[in-house]
Amino acid sequence: MQHKTVIEPFRIKSVEPISVSTEQERTQYLKDAHYNPFLLRSDNVIIDFMTDSGTSAMSARQWAGIMEGDEAYAGSRSWERMEKEVRDLTSMRYILPTHQGRAAERIIYGHLGGKGKVFISNTHFDTTRANIEFSGATAIDIPIAEGKDTALQHPFKGNMDVAALDLLLKEHQGHVGAVILTVTNNSGGGQPVSMANAEGVAAICKRHGVLFLLDCCRIAENSWFIKHREEGMEGVTYREIAQRMFALADGAVMSAKKDALVNMGGFLALKDEALAEACINLLIITEGFATYGGLSGRDMEALAIGLQEIFDPHYLDYRIKSTLFLGMKMHEMGVPLMLPIGGHAVYVDAKKLYPHIPPEQYPGQALVCELYELAGIRTVEIGSVMFGTYNADGSLQPAPMELVRLAIPRRVYTQSHIEYVIETFAEIMKRREYIRGLKIIKEPRFLRHFTAHFEPLS
Amino acid sequence: MSTTHTSWAEPYKIKMVEPLFMTTREQREEALKEAGYNTFLLKSEHVYIDLLTDSGTSAMSDRQWAGMMMGDEAYAGSRNFYHLEAAIQRHYGYKHIIPTHQGRGAENLISRILIKPGDIIPGNMYFTTTKLHQEMAGGTFADIIVDEAHDANSTFPFKGNVDLKKLQALIDQHGAAKIPYVSIATTVNMAGGQPLSLANMKAVRELTQKHGIRIIHDMTRVAENAYMIKLLEEGQGHRSTAEIVLELCSLTDGATMSAKKDALVNIGGFLATNEWDVFEEARNQVVIFEGLHTYGGLAGRDMEAMAIGISESVDEDHIRARVGQVFYLGKKLQAAGIPMVKPIGTHGVFLDAKAFLPHVPQLAFPAQTLAAELYLDAGVRTMERGIVSAGRDKETGDHCYPELELVRLTVPRRAYTQAHMDVIAESVVRVYERRASIKGLRMTYEPKYLRFFQARFETL
Repeated sequence: MQHKTVIEPFRIKSVEPISVSTEQERTQYLKDAHYNPFLLRSDNVIIDFMTDSGTSAMSARQWAGIMEGDEAYAGSRSWERMEKEVRDLTSMRYILPTHQGRAAERIIYGHLGGKGKVFISNTHFDTTRANIEFSGATAIDIPIAEGKDTALQHPFKGNMDVAALDLLLKEHQGHVGAVILTVTNNSGGGQPVSMANAEGVAAICKRHGVLFLLDCCRIAENSWFIKHREEGMEGVTYREIAQRMFALADGAVMSAKKDALVNMGGFLALKDEALAEACINLLIITEGFATYGGLSGRDMEALAIGLQEIFDPHYLDYRIKSTLFLGMKMHEMGVPLMLPIGGHAVYVDAKKLYPHIPPEQYPGQALVCELYELAGIRTVEIGSVMFGTYNADGSLQPAPMELVRLAIPRRVYTQSHIEYVIETFAEIMKRREYIRGLKIIKEPRFLRHFTAHFEPLS
Repeated sequence: MSTTHTSWAEPYKIKMVEPLFMTTREQREEALKEAGYNTFLLKSEHVYIDLLTDSGTSAMSDRQWAGMMMGDEAYAGSRNFYHLEAAIQRHYGYKHIIPTHQGRGAENLISRILIKPGDIIPGNMYFTTTKLHQEMAGGTFADIIVDEAHDANSTFPFKGNVDLKKLQALIDQHGAAKIPYVSIATTVNMAGGQPLSLANMKAVRELTQKHGIRIIHDMTRVAENAYMIKLLEEGQGHRSTAEIVLELCSLTDGATMSAKKDALVNIGGFLATNEWDVFEEARNQVVIFEGLHTYGGLAGRDMEAMAIGISESVDEDHIRARVGQVFYLGKKLQAAGIPMVKPIGTHGVFLDAKAFLPHVPQLAFPAQTLAAELYLDAGVRTMERGIVSAGRDKETGDHCYPELELVRLTVPRRAYTQAHMDVIAESVVRVYERRASIKGLRMTYEPKYLRFFQARFETL
């Protein structure tokens, strides 16, 4: 018989209790956290959809790997396993372990960046943009036009606009640090990138002699979409799809905290020897020796095993379809969403949900606060709090979209947790007109969403 | 354990073991050749006893492993962060903390925040990564350690002390405004794991306070330093190590720590400060380099292991056994007449390769040669700290010629037994007995930066 029910291809081996709070308590917690969920204690959160990064449940095999970690400073067995696994997957010669993705980004973009340099991406993620701008360089986003319309259905909304890329490379000739293709495109709604698009980007980069890098932290999830949506790819395995994409690029950065199912870890993979040598120098200074890079042996072990597990077809099927389950239920009840549903998260269009709240009153942040207060669900704003900038006159230059991300940790929550979330959205829909925005009362220079303080508007 | 015992017997028993690989001499010859006579390039599975470093190589306790299972991997506000914060406040007394993936992450932050181009940072001897971060921020390191530290044969008990005259001279020369902080390490690694005295720390505090200069504490082995104060400093014998640790920290304004040493973890570090402004700036910057300020690039479980490790590290029985084991090895070698840095350090024994192999000229890399021979004899992996580590002069391109050619035998915490120490001692003595037949090395590959990590050699 053909089952419609998507079951988890695993059972639970170890559990972590959730502490349940009352709405009244949460009102106080939220106030204490200055209406910024990044400042909440995790003990006060019931369902944590803040991120899918580093929050996965590891498998029994990974935990066994944790116990087998070789903590030798140089030449650790665990490093050999990780290096082999990453090499087999990426076919890249030089593998640099880092404590997490942003360290790999800082090393490569710090080296390639600097004043006057330009980086081009389908959409730079927050830490990527911060690392590039911190070096003095400029980050330019060129998603395809369809990617900016939340309601429009398109199979590969994460694609890069190749015509725009060609023009930009001509315009900035000699000043381009790198072209970065993020798969899947997280800031753009977790939308996939097609193989054809990656091939197009690679060809243009090659023609212009520009470095092409993959930000591959969700490449297995991206491979699922390619296999099921792109013509001619049905017969190719998920792993082979990923390998083909790696073959197109000159290098890759990965936060292994996403697809690789670990709580900590990342890497930088490169084909070019001279570039790798410069990066290894920076690695040793800021991260750790070349055979551990700031990771414990056990974490390298878990990463190597995680990279094998993510291409399991049963796991990937469960992963994508369970995200889809939440998304479709919300869609059916009329919650405005980024469509189609992405791989790791459901993105709510807060601009449409709260049309009465203007961008400078942060409709996304209002929804984030509402979700927490009502149900203890922690989410994150991906809109003008995260990506807004200020014009010379001090007015807000809003982000193109006001999204709230419900990122789903891998292998952590059950269907009943998901149904609790769905029930909460029914209530959110009922009271949508009464919700008010917020104002920022304190913010740092970079990455303000992590530490900014807010106040609700009355 | 009763204090009337002179034994340093471990206050723990073994709960989980990791098999070691026993190799034959032929296998080691092969492995060493493959590694280009550089111990850094050996695979750890070819090593029998690994004394390369005491950093990140500790055996955790069952409580720490239990803590590992209690990791809260939430991106923001993990409960393990609050446990870590409480442990640091309780045992070290600092007010605000930022976790980092390891010590150099904290060094990066503090250097960026406090150092302006042209600044001078006085310190009790340099450490490789500390100095590099100071330079990257535009500062210049200035050595203010006592002269005894540079003399392998001096038996001065507190070779980590600051020479106050040197510090005063720097202040007079550059002015206090050019000195954002004085960096004080407990203990001093590059001097051979040597402690500084509490009296000296107080004197440094008095002098710097007069000029309004901060002290930033490089506290990676603070408990070992405090224990030496208890053992050797007048009027301190009756106090607990934990008390002395707290007092040392109280004489400073902030700290960087690689928790991979004293704090008994395999990964982790932090930046601590008593200044709100420094904390706020660090909190804003850590997210770019390390991770959000409530995890700083560490898994929740590793913060939990660190919190527990910190409290274990200041336990009297633990620290006595820790230093006792290192001294056991050191005294055994001393009794056999092996030349080494005196006094014995708290985290390792530093062999004097120049005196060990007087017939091997410095350009034939005596310390590198000795490290290779030690591996060959019994599979013991050690680290060169001599001309290879010193690298080349940026201006002239010639080698730097350090006074000391050392081989470091660093003892991981709680990992090896007394029988292992005996094997090490026997092996060193065996190599010493046939020292006359040992020839030097020739460098065949030299990387541009930090050459000691990846350089390759051939026998002469």
